[in-house]
Amino acid sequence: MTLLARATDESGLSKRLTALDRVVELGADRLDPAALATAGALSGKAAERLRLGAEHTVVALAGTTGSGKSSLFNALVGVDVATTGLRRPVTSTAQAAVWNPDGAAPLLDWLGVKRRHHLGDEGADELSGLVLLDLPDVDSVKVDHRLEVDRLVKLVDLLVWVVDPQKYADSALHDRYLQPLRTHADITVVAFNQIDRVPSARREEVLTDLRGLLEREGLGGVPVLPVSARTSDGLPALRTRLADAVTAHEASVRRLNADLRALADELGPTCGPSATPAVERADRAAVVGALTEASGADAVALAVARTHRSRTRAATGWPMTRWLARVRPSAATRLGLPGARLSPGEAEDELVRTALPGPSAVQQARVDTALRNLVDRTTAGLPQPWPSVLTRAATGRREQLPDLLDRAVAGADLGLGRRPRWWGVVRLLQNVLALVAVVGAVWLLGLFLLDWFRLPEPPLPDVDVWEWRIPVPTGMLLGGVLVGLVLGFLSARLGALGARRQANRARRRIRARVEQVAADAVLEPVSAELSARTELCAAISQLRGRR
Amino acid sequence: MDGPRLADALEALRASVASVRLDLAVSDAEAARRSRSELVGQVDDYLLPRLRQLDAPMLVAVGGSTGAGKSTLVNTLVGAEVTKAGWLRPTTRAPVLVCHPDDVGWFETDRILPGLSRTTGPEAVNSLRLVPHPSVPPGLALLDPPDIDSVVAENRDLAGQLLAAADLWIFVTTAARYADAVPWDLLHTAAQRSTALAVVLNRVPPEGVGEISDHLRSMLAEERLGDAALFAVPEVELTAERIPDAAIAPLRTWLDGLAADAGARDAVIRTTLTGALSSLHDRVTGLADHLDDQVRTAAELRGTALERYRTALTGVDDGVRSGTVLRGEVLARWQEFVGTGQFTRNLEARIGQLRDRITSFFTGRAPAAEAVGHAVESNLHALVRAASDQAAEQTTELWRSRPAGRALVTDDLHRSSAEFGPRLELQIRAWQERVLDLVREEGGHRRSVARLTSFGVNGAGLVLMLAVFAQTAGLSGLEVVVAGGTSAVSQKVLEAIFGDAAVRTLAARARDDLLETVEGLLVDERQRFDVLVDAVAPTAERVTALRTALAEFESALGSYLRQPGLVR
Repeated sequence: MTLLARATDESGLSKRLTALDRVVELGADRLDPAALATAGALSGKAAERLRLGAEHTVVALAGTTGSGKSSLFNALVGVDVATTGLRRPVTSTAQAAVWNPDGAAPLLDWLGVKRRHHLGDEGADELSGLVLLDLPDVDSVKVDHRLEVDRLVKLVDLLVWVVDPQKYADSALHDRYLQPLRTHADITVVAFNQIDRVPSARREEVLTDLRGLLEREGLGGVPVLPVSARTSDGLPALRTRLADAVTAHEASVRRLNADLRALADELGPTCGPSATPAVERADRAAVVGALTEASGADAVALAVARTHRSRTRAATGWPMTRWLARVRPSAATRLGLPGARLSPGEAEDELVRTALPGPSAVQQARVDTALRNLVDRTTAGLPQPWPSVLTRAATGRREQLPDLLDRAVAGADLGLGRRPRWWGVVRLLQNVLALVAVVGAVWLLGLFLLDWFRLPEPPLPDVDVWEWRIPVPTGMLLGGVLVGLVLGFLSARLGALGARRQANRARRRIRARVEQVAADAVLEPVSAELSARTELCAAISQLRGRR
Repeated sequence: MDGPRLADALEALRASVASVRLDLAVSDAEAARRSRSELVGQVDDYLLPRLRQLDAPMLVAVGGSTGAGKSTLVNTLVGAEVTKAGWLRPTTRAPVLVCHPDDVGWFETDRILPGLSRTTGPEAVNSLRLVPHPSVPPGLALLDPPDIDSVVAENRDLAGQLLAAADLWIFVTTAARYADAVPWDLLHTAAQRSTALAVVLNRVPPEGVGEISDHLRSMLAEERLGDAALFAVPEVELTAERIPDAAIAPLRTWLDGLAADAGARDAVIRTTLTGALSSLHDRVTGLADHLDDQVRTAAELRGTALERYRTALTGVDDGVRSGTVLRGEVLARWQEFVGTGQFTRNLEARIGQLRDRITSFFTGRAPAAEAVGHAVESNLHALVRAASDQAAEQTTELWRSRPAGRALVTDDLHRSSAEFGPRLELQIRAWQERVLDLVREEGGHRRSVARLTSFGVNGAGLVLMLAVFAQTAGLSGLEVVVAGGTSAVSQKVLEAIFGDAAVRTLAARARDDLLETVEGLLVDERQRFDVLVDAVAPTAERVTALRTALAEFESALGSYLRQPGLVR
């Protein structure tokens, strides 16, 4: 275990496996399901293999039928364990030879290899700790052989491909196994078996040909060892190679590192350019603008202004006519706006729906276009799946937007309950003026009656207004009415000013709340996906690690 | 006799097979394309030439795996180094044809294998090396094709092509190879097409000749190839790169026998020919079935786009009908146009006054009418644009969810095309023009002309446009509150000018016109998807034509096979 821990640490494997777990976690619902499954399987395999320890190194002899895998296996074991034969194919299930079998059983169980040969004392040599597998062929008519090889090739620590002079350039071997495993050059060895069949003068030429072939496939560094199971030529070199791998105790770590590199190669293109796009201020403003429009903020502002004007009239208008303003329901009440019926200080309740009709088709269209532009701009230059992922993030709560926007309006403090102080003053003034006018009128009426009944007139006080001398009751009546009307007109103007201010404030407050909706329902999810991408791509590039 | 008729029918069938599009990425499309090119290749390389000239020399292909010793075998049979044997794999890169010098004429022209140029010198790419040699008996030519299973893909393809062009296969395998999967795929094909076949089991360890031969024979029997002649050649030291005579004596005798007996040769030729001709039924039917699959998939892809764009049009229709296009800006501008909200509210009972007011307003400040028109345009624009974008996005997403669609989707497909925006603007403006024409036309044969002119056609057209959007569904609470009923007023204005029924007709016509315009634009957008499918998918007519050509060919084949003396 300590050996393994050191090798794991030294090669940075543990860090990269952490990155792999991040990839699996972040890749869910984002990456292509097949690639994600590969990553998940690799994560599981790595955990399992590391748990089983590095005391044993699993080496597989794989190759085409008739290349002499089983013969080589027997030659390495030193005993005829595997059946060899003339009929093709011979080996149909994998079998294992274990040097120093203590503690190897769980590993073999994990590999699913049932036929085992234990080398006890005779195996106490430099190969101690080797688990050598003899695999079935990769190219015969028996498809189940290939499936067994495919399964085991994914699990073993070191692959020894056994080829022969007839078959060393076969497509079944190169196109199906060697080429796809080019990322695993580190843990690949090619044993050129039956080398004794090639005239010794031609051997170098043939080996060079094979090396060139491997190099073109990206397996340039792979050692090609000429061997012969029959004459034992080259066997010591192969043995040494295996012994090195076994004593280093790091083949399994190298195998996992190669797997991680291959996965990084596979996932790399999904990340695209390294630049991290962000939600620009302009895009944010466009989304908020479209949502504000869809929330009906303009209509609400208009209604607020109108309501304010009519309330101003109701509060400060000429007392004789101001009741008219109260008869009609205010625009705000008809839209069911918050605060329309509240006295100041009462809390707004955003769960009460307004009577706003909800976004129109055009407003919805503008919102959709704004969301699309947002996605287009943040995903410019990014490959699939990012455009789709971000579209999902941006539009995931599209159906809820009308309700969210209505809540935003319903919960906004539109200032409808507020009554400006000057209303009271003007109202008092209006009342006083009205009273003055009434007193004047009653006085005049009294005078009229006195005159009617030919009674003596009491002395009438006068006031001088500029050059005119006006009797007090007449002045009170006319002045009260006139000044009241003028005051009513002035306060209506003032009310209109206030209405505009209040409309602007209402619009601002709705916008502020809509900004929150935009952030929660659109911008945050988009930003979250963008940062998930950054993190995922960082994790993917960590998989590769240093070479 | 019936030979020419059959050849003509075959040629027609070949043309039909070769010309059909087959590029939709459905499952098995790769296999179907390969099968198609094999089929066309075999017709060109072998079937047509052989049908036309039954007396041409028999072509014997010595095919097999890399390293099985094909070239050595050919050299041994000919008795000269006509093709290169060696230790490097694959050895033969370009095919070699060896024949008697008298027969060279048969092979120099592109009668057979028209795709390969002829050369007598060294090996060259895509060429057939022609080697005349007197030790080859007349009436028989030996072909050494490249291997069938090495890493060099061109070799494998060329080998398949050459084997399909041969009258007789001498299939070379070895003791290490005879259970390989790749050769057995080819042998399986040979069995299906009743190709004349001989098998050479090369490099057999002397002690295993019996055992391995028996095993191979039983494997051949399983593939219903039990009749094929099997020659085992034991592994022996080569002398001067040739297999010793004793080892290949049986094979040589068998070949010499064939060369000497024109009748036997003819029988072999006819067996392979009729087998290949008869195999066309299954091959073409399989292809046609696959084509049906492609036609179906293409229809589904087109249907997806059609459905999404139809939904988009319905969305635009709904948006227009519900009057929502009126909201917002339009209302605000309209208020500017007819006066303040306060004023219009009082107008409902006094249309005449409104008209006067508008007339004066209008003559004084004409641009106000334009401003309203602009707002309608940008609202409509937003509505149609979003609908088109949504259709494109959804269609792309749905296409991506299946392999056939995924292969077709291009980067810019998930949004409306670049020219859609400008075109939309142009079309909307054109529509507005037409609405004005409509008003003019309607006004022309009515007594309202005087009143109309006083109002101004522009203003009336505008009101009509607004009516188009507002008429059916009426007004929602919002508009009544905000606009103070101006839209209702606008309709009343119009009705006062034209009369109630006329307004309804006018509005309906203008709306239908608008929807037609939008539909035209959306159809063009959808075309982008259809074009992609059309470029790769077969049409149902072509598949039917293919089946007809096959039926025609089969009837010709039927009468050809019934000829007396054909099958001996």
